[in-house]
Amino acid sequence: MGVFSGPLQSLIDELGRLPGIGPKSAQRITFHLLKVAPEDALRLAQSIIAVKERITLCTRCFNVAEGGLCAICLDDRRDITSVCVVEDPRDIVAVEKTGEFAGRYHVLQGALNPIEGIGPDQLRVRELLARLGEEGIAEVILCTNPNLEGEATAMYLARLLKPMGLVVTRIASGLPVGGDLEYADELTLGRALEGRRVIEA
Amino acid sequence: MYLASLSISEFRNFAEATILPDPTGTTVITGSNGAGKTSLLEAVGYLATLQSLRGSPKEAMVRIGAERAILRAVTMVGDRSMDIEAELAASGRSRTMVNRQTVRRRADLGEALRITVFSPDDIAVVRGGPAERRRFLDEALAVVAPKTTLHADETEKILRQRAALLRRAGKRLSPEVEATLDVWDARLDLAGTALVEAREALTEQLAPLAEQHYSRLAGKAVDVGLHYRRSWSGTLRDALAASRPDDLVRGITLVGPHRDELELTLSGLSGRTHTSQGEQRSMALALRLATHQLATERLGSAPVLLLDDVFSELDPYRTRALLEGLPPGQSILTTALPPPPEVAAATTYEVKPAGMVNALVSERGDG
Repeated sequence: MGVFSGPLQSLIDELGRLPGIGPKSAQRITFHLLKVAPEDALRLAQSIIAVKERITLCTRCFNVAEGGLCAICLDDRRDITSVCVVEDPRDIVAVEKTGEFAGRYHVLQGALNPIEGIGPDQLRVRELLARLGEEGIAEVILCTNPNLEGEATAMYLARLLKPMGLVVTRIASGLPVGGDLEYADELTLGRALEGRRVIEA
Repeated sequence: MYLASLSISEFRNFAEATILPDPTGTTVITGSNGAGKTSLLEAVGYLATLQSLRGSPKEAMVRIGAERAILRAVTMVGDRSMDIEAELAASGRSRTMVNRQTVRRRADLGEALRITVFSPDDIAVVRGGPAERRRFLDEALAVVAPKTTLHADETEKILRQRAALLRRAGKRLSPEVEATLDVWDARLDLAGTALVEAREALTEQLAPLAEQHYSRLAGKAVDVGLHYRRSWSGTLRDALAASRPDDLVRGITLVGPHRDELELTLSGLSGRTHTSQGEQRSMALALRLATHQLATERLGSAPVLLLDDVFSELDPYRTRALLEGLPPGQSILTTALPPPPEVAAATTYEVKPAGMVNALVSERGDG
């Protein structure tokens, strides 16, 4: 199908299948790789192989891990009484960057979405329930996305967990720090007003 | 606000054309069937909404054989002049600029050009199924209460998720399905109730205005009824719970904002089944004029009123009543018939079959 033949075209085709990379970018990256030192290209190839061979899901929280438990579950300085429930391992990175949370995580691997065939059985809900019994967890923070599917998932989990006598919290929606009120969209500002709190003075 | 000028090239059957509508009064576009009168309104509509009023794809609006159509409008918003330019490509990317800034979404067009459109298809609001009337309400809400579009969007998404869940359940209520249905129902209760309350408030505002406009067109006081009928009673949450067994069997949601009806009556009789074609047309027109009035109040200035082929099916009396009572502000109307002598139009354009547009001197001679 392409103008080039053999390995050149197949690399362009493979790169073009990646998310966010169109045919032109695929071609540019391919020609870049053609020019770089052989060891640089080899390192990239080996990294890809290593990721596929060595990275697994954490047996406890379903974060990405290198066999067995993930780095966070292995860290014995973490607070084991609170668990933060997220949709995707990338969300852990986002929460970790805040430095505000010292507990462990639980990755659902998605959100409720009947159109895509995702119900509670397709999510790691049963595994979460099992952990609650075993690990002495006191608080569950529901940190799913603030969109329709994420909110529905949070509501589903809240209904499931509340009767178990746990503290169940949902992250707040609000305004970006350092921003201007006049640029906030109405929905976000409305939510921020709803979730207002008494100021310390 | 008003449209000061519209220039088009290679659009529909026009090579080049320019019109300078009357800033504060009525502009009439005449011409025989198929000459391209509606295409001129379509050009205005595209610049206001980034889509065809007739639902045509963009490439269909480019003149056959041409690579791209160019539409350009100058509007006056208060004392600010706005320049809207759109390029429609026969193949490839189309683009739109407002004051030379590229615009990607309809919402970013902002207040550069706002329109109210009445077209012959509007009769479907009166004669068609309930879905037509719900769409009419939701479109009007998008203008007069833009925040409510969030509830409409969310309701639609939840209904799709709920339908998918019901279909997958295969008529069986497993504990898992039950627990997730509870969640979708709770969300639908919130969004759906907010949407319906907005629709009901709008209906209440529209009713007296529609009656006024209809009575003026008819030349006598007519009792015009607009009643919003919910497809349930009590709270939506309870209604969803009650209808769950049936929903499971049918695989659809049987109660909710998507099953409601806006009932229209004339002197107590159903507008849909017990009225003549002319009455239905007047009713559709009255509804459109009522939303135009609400939009004018909400926006602080009248949108440009576009009336396509408005005289067909109206008797001479109603035609005259419509023209004499047009709301203040700019309006542009098309007609295949010669405009009645009462038309207070300072500006008239005649569209010739070859895609030529000629300005006609007003008979009133005050233009």
